[in-house]
Amino acid sequence: MMRKITMREALNEALFEEMERNKNTLCFGEDVGYIGGIFGVTRGLQEKFGKERVWDTPIAECTIVGAALGMAITGLVPIAEMQFADFMAVAFDEVHNKLGKWRYMHGGKFEVPVTLRLPIGISGGAGPEHSQSPQALFVHSQGLYVVIPSNPRDAKGLLKQAIRDPNPVLFFEHKKLYEVKGEVEEEEFLIPFGKAAVKKQGTDVTIVATALQVTTALEAAELLEKDNISVEVIDPRTLVPLDTDTIFESIKKTGRLVIVHEDPKRGGTGAEIAALVAEELLFDLEAPIKRVAGPDVPIAQNIHLEKYYVPSVEDIIEAVKETLD
Amino acid sequence: MALSKYDKDLLLDLYRTMLTSRRFDQELIRLLHDGKVGGFHHSGQGHEAIAAGICASLEDKDYLFYHHRGCNQQISKGISLEGIYADFLGRVDGTTGGLGSGIVHHVDPDKGILGQSGTIGESYILAAGVGYSIKYRGTDQVCVAFNGDGATAREVFHGGINWVGLYNLPVIYVIENNLLASSLHFQNSHSLKEGGSLADRADSYDVPSFVVDGNDVLAVYEVAKEAIARARNPKERRRCTLIEAMTYRYRGHFEGDSAEYMDKDVIEEWRENRDPLDNYRKKLLDSGTFNEKDLTKLEKEVDDTIKNAIAKAEASPIPGRDRIFEGLYA
Repeated sequence: MMRKITMREALNEALFEEMERNKNTLCFGEDVGYIGGIFGVTRGLQEKFGKERVWDTPIAECTIVGAALGMAITGLVPIAEMQFADFMAVAFDEVHNKLGKWRYMHGGKFEVPVTLRLPIGISGGAGPEHSQSPQALFVHSQGLYVVIPSNPRDAKGLLKQAIRDPNPVLFFEHKKLYEVKGEVEEEEFLIPFGKAAVKKQGTDVTIVATALQVTTALEAAELLEKDNISVEVIDPRTLVPLDTDTIFESIKKTGRLVIVHEDPKRGGTGAEIAALVAEELLFDLEAPIKRVAGPDVPIAQNIHLEKYYVPSVEDIIEAVKETLD
Repeated sequence: MALSKYDKDLLLDLYRTMLTSRRFDQELIRLLHDGKVGGFHHSGQGHEAIAAGICASLEDKDYLFYHHRGCNQQISKGISLEGIYADFLGRVDGTTGGLGSGIVHHVDPDKGILGQSGTIGESYILAAGVGYSIKYRGTDQVCVAFNGDGATAREVFHGGINWVGLYNLPVIYVIENNLLASSLHFQNSHSLKEGGSLADRADSYDVPSFVVDGNDVLAVYEVAKEAIARARNPKERRRCTLIEAMTYRYRGHFEGDSAEYMDKDVIEEWRENRDPLDNYRKKLLDSGTFNEKDLTKLEKEVDDTIKNAIAKAEASPIPGRDRIFEGLYA
């Protein structure tokens, strides 16, 4: 049975279901317990599962991630929240040097089933340290999975998969998507990592977009249809592992690629995709690869300036048309 | 306490553990000088009594995070000697299955040895998570995390001990205070009250603490025994403890470090008068608990064990390129 729920509700359901399923699953972070998270994703969990399983930690990001690792290698399944993904910078050693490497550097003798929930994105004048989308930093890390849903259904299926996965998963949630509604079936389902979603089929240009930009890309694609430009929109859903098969298949058909993301262009998540396509499919391309991305400057804290950081429908349309010139 | 109060097996085991640690290290340095071992090695010579005294009251089910100067700690917790020699020699039968040991990552989950963080002091926060895990699962396990004095300057010391105190976790932090953080002298590394200790810091977190002579294995044993028993008991008001064990190291921060920042006379003084093995051996003989023949026999056994471990490790092959692509994801 399908019903329409928000991404916040979908994530919340995933947490409820997985905590119900496995009593060794714990949920913690700054403000996640009593108030249910500043974005409300963990609402109701403490009431249902108690303070031992769902609690408010001190403001100490290194300790949250380090402790999650300690729990994971001794039999628990921790789900920790960084209040803003920007705070991953505080816990960079724990994420980059520990979470992804602990199993490997200790001879593969541990499983590290940690899920880190990470709110990202520009959303209401929060400025340079509370608005970023830092996932590219961790695409570069080893031993981590990088997940980035664009809608309620994917968010639920991917989060359930993340919690059950025996590896560390960084789960990036765009703050502007929390309120967005979408169809999610009532029955249980999981979405595997490394399987992109073709959001719209097309023949002229391929757009690869993530998170909130999937919606923007779809809007652009619809407008382009009116000009008889047929756009295929692909949402990779996980950046590590990346479903290159689906992306490459599409480019072989269209010969054109536009990559859209909110994180800054330089060294951004699109750079890796562009490089892979250039390595493998250069002679299938009819036009240079285009990237529509955030500018390479910090995100100003002035709400009136925010719009200049986010790729717009017009930006995407322009980039698509450039590939057809 | 008089030696006659102790179980004779325990007294001998403590000596065996310390001697195995010392001989292991001496032979490892020989292998380094022979060019058979690459990477860095941080010798723990002079620190042996701390690990031996602490681990004597631990069981296989208990958890250990050792630190970079931590071979003594792993040996005291029962890791396979051939396993760690094979790691140092870069062989496939090492505890890491061939990934080697330049900056140690030896491991043995069956013995509760959970590994090591290459960045100093991170075990403060990892142990907090392990402590939470023990408490949540309701077992009587204990987690011990060893660090040096330098690591208490790190941010994660505060983060870890704050959790451990806040949630009253069965965690024991051990500081091997050898008065040196790499090349930095103790007084230049820590802001303390006059005459104060690192252990004092635990007071403000309501974490019971001890300062103990880290070169006296029985003194360490007594303090650890009390702390470990308290950690195992969920009814205790405080299950957590910080133990600061005072010691000194005989060698540089790592092998190859010329250690110009160390005073040779001070090293000599510790070696001559405060060596944990020499003093303990003398105590065993003077008390009449053991005679020269007993100890010589044990010393020969330890030498044979070390020799066999090296031979086995050297017989193991060096891995090929494929090894680096194994074991990243579960």
